[in-house]
Amino acid sequence: MFSTIRMIFAVLLISGIAGAGMYVMKLRADNATLKANQIKLETAVAEQTKVLEQQKADFAAIMESNKKLNVLINTFKKDLDDLDKRFTKKNRDIGKLAINKTKAIERIINKGGNNAARCIELASGAEHTEEELKATQKSEINPECPALANPNYVHYE
Amino acid sequence: MKMSHYGTYWVSFFKGVILVLLILALTGCSIGGEKKIKIFSVEKPREKLNYEMPTPLQMEEIKWIIITSENADEVFKRLQDAGIDPVLFGITDKDFQVLARNFAQIRQKLQETNNLLEEYKKYYEDTNNQ
Repeated sequence: MFSTIRMIFAVLLISGIAGAGMYVMKLRADNATLKANQIKLETAVAEQTKVLEQQKADFAAIMESNKKLNVLINTFKKDLDDLDKRFTKKNRDIGKLAINKTKAIERIINKGGNNAARCIELASGAEHTEEELKATQKSEINPECPALANPNYVHYE
Repeated sequence: MKMSHYGTYWVSFFKGVILVLLILALTGCSIGGEKKIKIFSVEKPREKLNYEMPTPLQMEEIKWIIITSENADEVFKRLQDAGIDPVLFGITDKDFQVLARNFAQIRQKLQETNNLLEEYKKYYEDTNNQ
């Protein structure tokens, strides 16, 4: 009888110790899982922050690029308007002028043609010459495309 | 038949050995565990498309001649004297304006396209926007 009770207690004690041990093991495993999850979450947050920063930088770069292109397109409009003005300024008739001052107009037209050809070269990526870069006066610039040919020239009337 | 204490010991020993061998046979000597294959990915950026920018154009010079009813004979004579065929391809003053405008528009389109190309290159290659 006594030995049976002792055996039951022994079994209960062993079961209790084993149960406690398993519980501790489970807690440790849970702890390890939680730690791993924490690390993953922190990494994910850091990655998200990086992505957001990159998106912000991309957005700024796109805005800057758009601004530059808009400025360029406005310059194009102005160049075309200036070209029209040169032909029609003060009711100018280039045909009549060519009849009256043939040689002078021929010289102007040839100079304009050369300037326009230079504009094409620059637009296709040619390097600026020293003279083009230094030009700040109206008399020094390429009037066909001053914004492109003479970056240091500031328009004045 | 009653076995001696010594005999019982040996039978238990052999049972243990057989059990160990059986476990080894079933597990294929992998009690220590197979090494796990680790799969990892390495992000490799795309190769850059390193095209050279197009070679700039080199335009040839064109000489414009203005011909009116008054100087026509003189112009043709000058051409003949210079050994050039006395023929001119003419446009009116209005068409000359149109030609100048078309020329300007072609140049602007070229500039716009080149500019776009540079902006794309800058966006995708200068920063890490890949």
